[in-house]
Amino acid sequence: MSTWELILQQGVNGLILGSFYALVALGYSMVYGIIKLLNFAHGDIYMTGAFVCLSVFGALSRFLSGWPAVACSIVAAMFLAAALGFLAQRFAYRPLLGAPRLSLLITAIGVSLVIYNTVMVITNSQPLFFSSGLDSSAGIKIGGLTVTYIQMVLLAVSALVMLGLSLFIGHTKTGRAMRAIALDQDTCRLMGINVNKVIGLTFMLGSALAAIAGGLACVYYGNVQYNMGYTIGIKAFTAAVIGGIGSIPGAMLGGLLLGLLEATGTQLLDSSWKDVFAFGILILMLIVRPNGLLGKTEIERM
Amino acid sequence: MRKMTIRIVAALAVLTMLFAILAGCSGRNDDVITIGVLAPLSGTETYYGKDMLQSYQLAVDEINKAGGVLGKELVLYEADDGADPNMATQAASKIISRGVDFVVGGYASGAIIPTMQLFYDENLLLLISCANSTDITKQGLEQSFMINSPGTHAVVTLAELCRAVDAKKVALIHQGDAYTKNLSDLCESELPRSGFEIATVEIMEKGAADVSAIVTRIRNSGADFVYWCGYHADGSNVIKQLRRGGYAGEIAVGDGSASVELIKACGADGEGVYVTSPPFVEFAEGGDAFVDAYKRMHGMDPGTYATLSYDTIYLLKEAIERAGGIETERVREEVQASEYQGLSGLISFTPDREPAVSNFIILQIRGDKFRLVTLD
Repeated sequence: MSTWELILQQGVNGLILGSFYALVALGYSMVYGIIKLLNFAHGDIYMTGAFVCLSVFGALSRFLSGWPAVACSIVAAMFLAAALGFLAQRFAYRPLLGAPRLSLLITAIGVSLVIYNTVMVITNSQPLFFSSGLDSSAGIKIGGLTVTYIQMVLLAVSALVMLGLSLFIGHTKTGRAMRAIALDQDTCRLMGINVNKVIGLTFMLGSALAAIAGGLACVYYGNVQYNMGYTIGIKAFTAAVIGGIGSIPGAMLGGLLLGLLEATGTQLLDSSWKDVFAFGILILMLIVRPNGLLGKTEIERM
Repeated sequence: MRKMTIRIVAALAVLTMLFAILAGCSGRNDDVITIGVLAPLSGTETYYGKDMLQSYQLAVDEINKAGGVLGKELVLYEADDGADPNMATQAASKIISRGVDFVVGGYASGAIIPTMQLFYDENLLLLISCANSTDITKQGLEQSFMINSPGTHAVVTLAELCRAVDAKKVALIHQGDAYTKNLSDLCESELPRSGFEIATVEIMEKGAADVSAIVTRIRNSGADFVYWCGYHADGSNVIKQLRRGGYAGEIAVGDGSASVELIKACGADGEGVYVTSPPFVEFAEGGDAFVDAYKRMHGMDPGTYATLSYDTIYLLKEAIERAGGIETERVREEVQASEYQGLSGLISFTPDREPAVSNFIILQIRGDKFRLVTLD
């Protein structure tokens, strides 16, 4: 491989990994933006999404195959994850919205453990393997550079989803309500916005995005395991902070950046040093910009 | 005055309780020989742990039906080590407090190593059925024996395979834990002596989904042979991504991935992958009878380490019989002198308590099955 091919190939690798981080990071960032909660259960929603996708695909296999089946499975995963996110919000978080921030945080860890352990027991802690029947190595080869069709679809889907989300938040009434609640909940309530409804919607939207990532991971990697949400949860949370937590474009940028940094670290140093490299650079970035790349300086009002 | 009385009564009550507990502990049943089993019965390695336990149960069941050992019945007492160092030490304490006579088990080297000193302190003989890091015998505890061939034997077999497929540059991938790193280190130091170049050594974190960056690095290193030193759950991921990432050379996996689960998980990408494998029962002499008995008892097929686990109990049984009792020192001497012809081949020990004879075989994935590869 020539140096350019190498750089491009690692760039593609980093972008794919980064898209997963970005999709999950969006949910973290949206929820934090609106109720200042670090939703630790988010990685587990991603994992649940992957399991739902796998099960629905299996159930559909008699009638459908290939991309249509994959698309249906991911949509099903989105709806179920959205329902799960809503339930967690309705029964675990909403009663605690007025409580100290720390109680809410511990509740989030609790919800995370409940989902994690439930799936662990149901699957008997065995990894499940997904075979979509799609040709996973078909793609475009330019010299030493390989990009498979699945990778292209994956990148396109995440780009479209992120674009759609930006339009939704920026140009719809509900999106405006979300941004308003992030600024000042009490005033929103006085202005007649149904705050609880919008918060619920935010959770559903964030969870659906995580389920898209989970479903895509299921199709792309093929391994589904109860602990698959843990690492990506931490990495996506990092991505959200780097981009500026609460900022939607920030989460996307942070995710892609983290993915690219990991690929660069692997190539430049060694696979054992990739996290040291990526996180070392991230620490430096946070020292220079403590609110993240696109985060706003927050002024505490008294 | 009344306070004083209450204190004395309380102190007496506490003492009585202590005595009761102590008495409970020492209340051993002399008609049975209790064998502690340390195996991962939860977590990602459950499949192997359950297989070990079920093989022990089969051997114990057969022995008891044939009259036991020295007229005594064998009883198993299992504890879950979760293939995790912290859980393993807790499980070891549980086994010790039960007052067992011998201990068998040990799947993950990282989990068994921290327990070895605990068993040694209690003067308990430990037969390690599966874990095979050479770090185990480096502990220098003369009551711990390794039944499974260590990585050093795997590397010899691997070098033969590399020569047979005409490999030149070998890339190694491990997962950073005791077992997989040990295997990778052995390859790194031994393969060059057999004339093979090490192209690169990579680490994949456990459970990491994406290894594409590592795949690109391996392709760029010019490796024509990749050896995966880790476990099957992540191994399938590595194999699939190697093939998707355009790697066309040979792939082999170590014994941690030697499971039929690997074939299922890899799908079409697994075709042609080699395994330096422990003695699978279907390739063992007299294995059919064992498979039948195992299926009858547990309603499922035996797994990768079934033969080694099964042989462990029989080796112990013969050593106890030759020793004429269960005194640790006597049985230890007899285990050391063992020449046991089991399902997994001949088991005997070096002075360092490692197996003297390699039990590794080479398998290759063909369709949805493993095929035995014989090298000239």
